[in-house]
Amino acid sequence: MEFDFVQNLATGFTAAATLKNLGFALIGCLLGTLIGVLPGIGPIPAIAMLLPITFGLDPLSSLVMLAGIYYGAQYGGSTTSILVNIPGEAGSIVTCIDGHEMAKQGRAGAALGVAALASFFAGCVGTVFIAAFGPPLAAIAQQFNSPDYFSLMVLGLVTAVILAHGSVIKAAGMVLVGLLLGLVGTDVNSGLTRYTFGVSDLWDGIDFLPLVIGLFGITEIIRNLEQRTLPRPQFNARMRELWPSKRDFQESWRAVLRGTGLGSVLGVLPGGGAVLAAFASYTLEKKVAKDPTRFGRGAIEGVAGPESANNAAAQTSFIPLLTLGLPSNAIMAIMMGAMIIQGIQPGAAVMTKRPDLFWGMVASMWIGNLMLLVINLPLIGIWVRLLSVPYRLLYPAILLFCVIGIYSTNTNIAQLVLCAVFAVFGYILLRFGCEPAPLVLGFILGPLMEENLRRSLVISRGDPMVFIERPISATLLATTLVVILALIVLPQFRRTRKEAFQE
Amino acid sequence: MLRIKSPQDLGAAVVFMAIGLVGVYFGRDLSFGTAARMGPGYFPIILSWIIVAIGIVVGLKALTIEGPRIEPVQLRPIVVIIAAILAFGFLINAVGLAITAVLLTILAAYARRDVKPIEAVLLGGGLAIFAIVVFVYGLSQPLPAWWGR
Repeated sequence: MEFDFVQNLATGFTAAATLKNLGFALIGCLLGTLIGVLPGIGPIPAIAMLLPITFGLDPLSSLVMLAGIYYGAQYGGSTTSILVNIPGEAGSIVTCIDGHEMAKQGRAGAALGVAALASFFAGCVGTVFIAAFGPPLAAIAQQFNSPDYFSLMVLGLVTAVILAHGSVIKAAGMVLVGLLLGLVGTDVNSGLTRYTFGVSDLWDGIDFLPLVIGLFGITEIIRNLEQRTLPRPQFNARMRELWPSKRDFQESWRAVLRGTGLGSVLGVLPGGGAVLAAFASYTLEKKVAKDPTRFGRGAIEGVAGPESANNAAAQTSFIPLLTLGLPSNAIMAIMMGAMIIQGIQPGAAVMTKRPDLFWGMVASMWIGNLMLLVINLPLIGIWVRLLSVPYRLLYPAILLFCVIGIYSTNTNIAQLVLCAVFAVFGYILLRFGCEPAPLVLGFILGPLMEENLRRSLVISRGDPMVFIERPISATLLATTLVVILALIVLPQFRRTRKEAFQE
Repeated sequence: MLRIKSPQDLGAAVVFMAIGLVGVYFGRDLSFGTAARMGPGYFPIILSWIIVAIGIVVGLKALTIEGPRIEPVQLRPIVVIIAAILAFGFLINAVGLAITAVLLTILAAYARRDVKPIEAVLLGGGLAIFAIVVFVYGLSQPLPAWWGR
């Protein structure tokens, strides 16, 4: 086992650390940070926008680059949060609280430095975590049968709904709409087309890229344009020293350890991920602090903890995707979409059949984290200057890259029409208080869920008891029930949820 | 007397019910099958009915629990941005990426109120060159650069 661990990582580094792949990792990190730094663009739209440029590469290079984009976008988001108090996504809201307060006190450099170092440390631990727990979990995954997969998806979707932003019932509706949209196209079993409305471009199903770019990228632009005052960053942060002081280190290293541990565990859970981890870590830091009143007034632990937690979780949330083939949140759903486009069906089989790909990706995560640290600290000045580019110059560029990305993947106008349709759809839903993230998760899982339900019921000859007769499936469904009951019965849980998502 | 307490929820309810009913209606020709032999209509029709049910629940919530109002829709940004996306689709094959990129940038600039036409043209030119260098020559994407195909 010990030997395997080292050998596996060696396989990974040989595959990933070629000059070509390092180059793509670097470009990915740079582009990800570049887009992530822009105010109001979180990791989901950032990845969606940059997805098309990875399509032309070979599978490993494209995954290496995507991982770089993801970490870059996330780190870019933290930078914006600290400097201008505009969170790009829910996960950085927590970083805003104390990070921006530190910036106001002239300690922006220390906050950014701690965020970068904490993220790097957490990233390293997260990578080791995947390398250590990936194979055993994949072995467990081999025991999984259709009913177990189906129940796991039910659990994952239910927790994703509960952890989603805003109303639970609306998030549930969005997941189901996503599942239904995922079924559009030709049914693999009967060969009949479903919900294509006579449009031949829908025979292969709704394409992933126009859907995510429409729902996230374009809707985001429209929403920003509607604000009377465009997100115009203002900062007077002095960047005296980037390196945190000795005292900063002393105050934050425990928070980093706690955040990393918490994040690594929460990332693996279905429905979990970076956002949940950041919130949980902030709450934990506030609880264990000797003087909780410091939080919200520039406590460095309030940056170090959540930043390490969200990065650790960002790594470990790859575990369910890579071992079970099931994404646990919207970002992983996009990663899965990208893998499928590359012709890789994520799951335990990847590890055994394409070890270079699996371990290469794990290694690339670490490389990505290292690059972020190396490029971000010196380049921080450039990112800061980028923040002062007015939005009126940015959005036409973003729009252009979005449409080029969609069009160049299969040079079909129908894709652009689809993108426009989803942009309007996403816009209307946002007006009615429905967040699009759960829909994407449902969309990716739709066909998988139907297939596993079908197989389960074929095995049991139509008897739904099959889902509670198998121990794994029964445990997963029982957990689902507990989660739902907790939400209904425990008012405290509901209150915490409400508080956590308040902006 | 019924009073709408949460307009946002009511809107969401209408959307969900509409999607669910569309799912049921257009799924009517797909055979439902039995549990042991699921037809192509089995899963989607069950999903559609659950979506309708969620729509009803959200609708009831809209009538009983106070909620935020719907922010007024501003037509200008959404109409112009959608038009720009569609224009790109129709122009790209006819006149190539260079002209399309400039036109898209200028059109998109009108999504805001106080447009600076000269700035938009300059930005468009810059973006067109950048896009051609990066996407056509750098990433060799299948796009006509200078004129239509």
